[in-house]
Parts: sequence; structure tokens; C-alpha cells
Amino acid sequence: MRSIPSPDDAFIGAASRNGEQRATIPTYYDHPMLKWPDWDWNVVTYLFLGGIMGGLGLIQMLARPELESERKLKRTVRVTSFVLAAANPAVLVTHLGRPERFLNMLRIMKFKSPMSLGTWGLVFYSGAAGANVIRELAVGGTLPRWMRFFAPGLMTPVQALLGAFTAGYTGVLLSSTANPFWGSGKRHIPAMSVCSGLASACALSSLLCTLEGNTEPLQRLERLEMVAGAAELFILTDFERRHPDYTKPFFKGKRGEKLRTYTMAAGTLGPIALNVLGSMFNLPKPVDALRVTAASILTLAGGYVLRESLIAAGKASARDPQAAFRQPK
Amino acid sequence: MATGFFTDTTLCIGCKACEVACKQWNELPSDGFAFSGNSYDNTVELSGTTWRHVAFVEQTMPTEDGVANRWLMSSDVCKHCTNAGCMEACPTGAIIRNEYDSVFIQPDVCNGCGYCVVSCPFGVVDLIERFDPEGTHYNLASLSEERVEEQKTALQGHGGVAGKCTLCYDRQKLGFVPACAKACPTESIQFGNIDELRERARARVETLTKRGIHAELYGADDAGGGVGPLNAFFLLTDRPEAYNLPAEPVLPSTRQPAGYTAAAVTALGLAIAGWMIFRNA
Ligand code: SF4
Ligand code: SF4
Ligand code: SF4
Repeated sequence: MRSIPSPDDAFIGAASRNGEQRATIPTYYDHPMLKWPDWDWNVVTYLFLGGIMGGLGLIQMLARPELESERKLKRTVRVTSFVLAAANPAVLVTHLGRPERFLNMLRIMKFKSPMSLGTWGLVFYSGAAGANVIRELAVGGTLPRWMRFFAPGLMTPVQALLGAFTAGYTGVLLSSTANPFWGSGKRHIPAMSVCSGLASACALSSLLCTLEGNTEPLQRLERLEMVAGAAELFILTDFERRHPDYTKPFFKGKRGEKLRTYTMAAGTLGPIALNVLGSMFNLPKPVDALRVTAASILTLAGGYVLRESLIAAGKASARDPQAAFRQPK
Repeated sequence: MATGFFTDTTLCIGCKACEVACKQWNELPSDGFAFSGNSYDNTVELSGTTWRHVAFVEQTMPTEDGVANRWLMSSDVCKHCTNAGCMEACPTGAIIRNEYDSVFIQPDVCNGCGYCVVSCPFGVVDLIERFDPEGTHYNLASLSEERVEEQKTALQGHGGVAGKCTLCYDRQKLGFVPACAKACPTESIQFGNIDELRERARARVETLTKRGIHAELYGADDAGGGVGPLNAFFLLTDRPEAYNLPAEPVLPSTRQPAGYTAAAVTALGLAIAGWMIFRNA
């Protein structure tokens, strides 16, 4: 009896319909090895809002209460951050199916699970943001003055810290999975999530300031937005340079075109150009308001497309058995 | 006591009795009827409702006297990892390690978030499709009205839960062997004390090697990447990838320290920039 030959490269594997498979890793009929999530617009929105909330946490700390205009900014940002923090679980519930299912995540706290930690981060963030809103209302006279003691000044840095965590976790959530594309961005994706979150938060704050007619803090917000946007662009470029293979579903093809157009060009370079324009020329008020609005909307749209592309590219990456078999280090 | 599976693929005849027994015992719905064109494998993959999957690997090699063929068959299953990516990732604590050291999903705790799905390095666990009374996915015509209601409850009305092999937790509690191992006519699937199984597997590799057959164990010892030994391990005769198994799985949580550090450093940098902008402008 002839013994079964041992595996070597001469053996033509199951997936070798093209006859040259064994030069690479064999696959099983090119069938995906990994599974991909059923995450849709709702999880994209959840991560997008999580990033903005995080950025707002920093802005509410930076705004100086001594200046009338920034006191107003602080107040607006705090109220907005609280509204977003309260709305975000509702967005997740549209994915989970039923509201009670969100509560299942509050029966346990797991340090090894970014999803668990992030949910708790969101809950604590809502608490801090809520306390800061109460303080604003108490100082402003809407609530009795004594109620400001419910929210000591300590809550300001606490909300900022929780904000940094919330923004960062929206990246770690993706990057610490078995997905080869997300895994290859174990540093880049969390870092770009923080940058994108802050840029979007600055954009949203600028937009709200413009609506309120509070133009004083705009210049500072725009500068911070430019720093965050430039950092995001740098991280994206470095990501592609370091992992040209794993990031193909992200930077190449139709998805890549969309990312380059909406996030990198229109969403980052566009607002930077508009903001530089604004600081160079003294535009008349209505024109400037238009400029700020356009820049803000571009940044926000770019931030949304970034999250959308991250998830879509993760799904595509999971379908590629060659990438899955060569997990990034 | 830690129990597990030793799946010896050299004994598998591809009868799929394991798949059928698993579906029957666990009352898992059908996955529809599709023709894959990949050898005899129309099951295609493990899923939320398919907990055993028999892979059919057809290989040919030209030789002096014609062509050598071989047909590898392997019954795949959840690996019940020592460090399980799915379990670490689950935010509800639905995934637990039970008294038999197997990784078990409590369906009434799972909220269908799907995070385990992207955290399994072997692509095993998946969400059970959301219940769709109009859909063709579940063959409801064959069920009584009562059973339809039961199915709805099991699938939590709508929203789906994660599903994978339980290592027949319920049967083990009753002192029975898991359904697939019980049904397997060739003892390709062996169930028992994990240490005994490992010893048996090593002896089997020796026997096969003596007969001139290449044999390697997959996951009997550390599977690598932080995953640790697998409680359901395999004896293979080709590279793991030929069976759609990763040769170098990575435990997702090993990527966390780098991620949190990168996020913290970035946030700190941006906070300093923000501080400078707001103080000095
Ligand atoms: S193989 Fe996947 S689903 Fe099974 S225990 Fe390991 S990580 Fe969990
Ligand atoms: S889908 Fe269910 S089992 Fe999976 S991680 Fe979410 S809660 Fe846990
Ligand atoms: S029952 Fe046994 S022999 Fe039949 S396909 Fe399953 S593992 Fe192979």
C-alpha cells in the first residue's frame, strides 16, 4: 500500500483552482476563515457620537469661565455633551433590538472587554456631564443656587478624562479584535479616533457658537480643530505607509476613494483651508458665518465617513482568508 | 473536571452524522438548502445555528504513475479555548466558563451586540439570524404553532443572540457523551477528560508517524498568540490553513495595551495643544 504523501508544496490544495495556490498559504476554497459583524449605520453613529462626546469633554474644560464668551461656550458644550450622552444608548438600542438589552451590559464590569468598559465610560460620562449641567443651571439661576454644590468643580476635569476615554475606546473597540485590518491598526485606529472625535467636537461647538451669535471663541475652536485634523491626517497617512497590505480594503478601491474624498480631502483639508482663509481675511459677518458652517459640516461628515469606512473595511478584511491567516503582529 | 474533544481527522469518513446529531439534540433550525460546489461540503462553515461543520479537502498531486489523490475530512467545532477571545470580549458576561471548563453562552443574558463574533480568532461564534416570521430562513411551515412561539422565545423575539457549540453542557450534566461524539461511527470525535485525550492524541501521532503518515496536533498544546491550549483540539495531516484553521491565531485582548496607550498619548498631546491655544490666544 502506498502511504499518504506528506504535505508539501507539490500538493495542489483545495483552493488551487488556478493551480498556483501553494506558493501562498493554502485556503479552504477561498472561504473566509473569520466572521464579520452585522454592524450597520447604528454602530457607526454610536462610535461617531462617542468620539464627539469625548472631544466635548475636553472643550468644556478648556473654556475659561472668566470670559463672558467662553462661559457661554462652556455652557453650550456641557448641555450638548449631556444630550449626546443620553441619546447614544438609544442609538445602540436600535442595533440591540430592545431597550432592556442595553441594561444587560450594566450587570457586570469587565476590564478585558472594551465594549464593557466603554459602556461604563458612557454611563459615568453622562453622570459627570449631567452634574456639570446642573452646575451651569444653578449658577445661571434656572435652578436654586445651592444646587451647584451637587456638582463640585472637580467634575470639570473628570468629564474631560472620561471624555478622553470615551473617544479612545471607540477605536480600541475595533482594534482589539481578531480582524486583520482592525488589528493592524492597533495603535493607529485608537489614535485617529481621538483626533477625529476632537475635530468633530470643535466643529459642532463652532456651529453652535455661530448659531448663538457667539463668535468670540470661534478662532480658538478653529485652531484646535486644525491641530486635531492635521494629526488625524498624519495618522491616516502613516497607517497606510506602515500596513500597505492589511489596509487595502480601507485605502484602496471605491471605499478608499470615498475615504480620501470625504474624510481626508473634504473633511480635513477642506476645513483647514477654510479656517486659514478665515484667519487671513476679515470677512463680513454673514459670509464668515457661512464659512464656519461649511467648515463644520465638512468636518462632521468626514468624521462620520471615517467611522463608516473603518467598519466597512473591517467587514471586507474578515472575508479575506489570506489576511486572516497572516495576523498582523 | 475539564472535558473536551479530540477530533482525529484521519478517522473521519465525512458521513456528517456529527452535524445531524448536533442539530437534532440542540434543536437548531435548518440553514436553508444551498449547493456550494465545494466537494461534498454544502454546510460551508460553522455558524450561530451550525455547531459542527465537516470540511472536505480534495487534493491531487502528479506522480510518475499518474495522479495521487487524497481526500481530507475534518469535523470542525468551537475550540473552547483556554483564553477565549469571545469570552473576554463579551460585555454582558453572557459567555462563561462552566464546571467542565468549556466556554458556554447563556442565551438569556446575551444582548446580541455581536462583539464576540469579531473577537473569536477562529471565526466560530456568530449571531443567530434575527427572527423574521416572513423569512424563509427558518422552515416554520414544518413547525406547529406552539413550536413557532417557542422558536420566537428562544430567539428573543427579535434581535438575535450569539450561538456556538456548548460542548453539550446539558448532556454532560446528565452524564451523557456530547451528541456528535456519540453519533460518530468511527471515533473520529473522541470526548473525555482533556488530559487523557491529549495523551491519547500523542500516542496516535506516534502510531501514524511510524506508518509513514504525516500527522500533527493542532491546539493540544499552546495554540499560540496568547490563546493557550484548546479544549477541542485536532489531529491534522496537512497545514491547518487547508482545513480553514489559522496556524497563528492571535488573542484579541493582547492588542489592548497598545491601543489604550496610543489613545492616551494622543489625547494628552491634543489636550496640551488645546491648553496652549486657549491660554495664549
Ligand atoms: S473558538 Fe472562538 S467561540 Fe470557541 S471558545 Fe474560542 S474564541 Fe470562543
Ligand atoms: S453577542 Fe451576546 S455573547 Fe456575544 S459578546 Fe454580545 S452579549 Fe456577549
Ligand atoms: S460523525 Fe465522525 S466520521 Fe462522520 S463526519 Fe462527523 S467526525 Fe466524521
